[in-house]
Amino acid sequence: MLLFRSEETVDLWCESNGVPRRPLITLDQLWQLSVAWYANRLTVESRRPARDEMVSVFASIGLTGPFWDPRSDSFGSTAPPGPT
Amino acid sequence: MASCTILEGSAHKMSADADTTIKMTLYRLIAETGRVPDAGEVAAASRFSEADVLSSFTRLHARRLLVPEPGDPRRIRMAPPFSGIPTAFPVDAMGKRYYANCVWDAYGIPAALHADAVIPASDAVTGELLTLEVRGGEPVPLPYLAHFAVPAARWWEDIVYT
Repeated sequence: MLLFRSEETVDLWCESNGVPRRPLITLDQLWQLSVAWYANRLTVESRRPARDEMVSVFASIGLTGPFWDPRSDSFGSTAPPGPT
Repeated sequence: MASCTILEGSAHKMSADADTTIKMTLYRLIAETGRVPDAGEVAAASRFSEADVLSSFTRLHARRLLVPEPGDPRRIRMAPPFSGIPTAFPVDAMGKRYYANCVWDAYGIPAALHADAVIPASDAVTGELLTLEVRGGEPVPLPYLAHFAVPAARWWEDIVYT
């Protein structure tokens, strides 16, 4: 996941790397994701969110659809086994 | 048969306990030093042998909690959100410099440390310095954007690229 000043530089990056433009997220959304994923990472209880939990976290900040679904096979591959 | 099951269950619990202790030791050392230790350093800081730590690293990788350095299982490339090597996402916090694996993890470090941070990141195309900051437990508002090139279902096919 990379950082960009604007949509213009995102488009330049996608073009030069030959990849389609994917969803963009704001820094406020990114911070909320970081807190959801990592706020307890230095504690004994720490664990990665299960797939269903990931979907809930994404949806809570407005990120929905197959791109944000770790169970989706809409992008040419199924999710590997085990917790994502 | 029952005794075998009990022994297997006991062995599983012991390895799970070891994994938790080793993971906590690893993260404590990272937080204290800003550097990701290798298996020998984790062993020296815990009650486990280096062989025990290596076995635990393998199990933690299988659970997607660590990523070993390619070709050198004694070293850790990624203990998310921390990177074992310098990256384009340095994070200055608690008087130390840490490195994150990506822009998500760059915010993840102050989230994990519960600390303020300054993140001298840059635009992925132009290289322009785009400094992010976390102050008082909140990000300083900025108009920049993050782009996820890989869909969630494929993140772990090549997590270093992701």
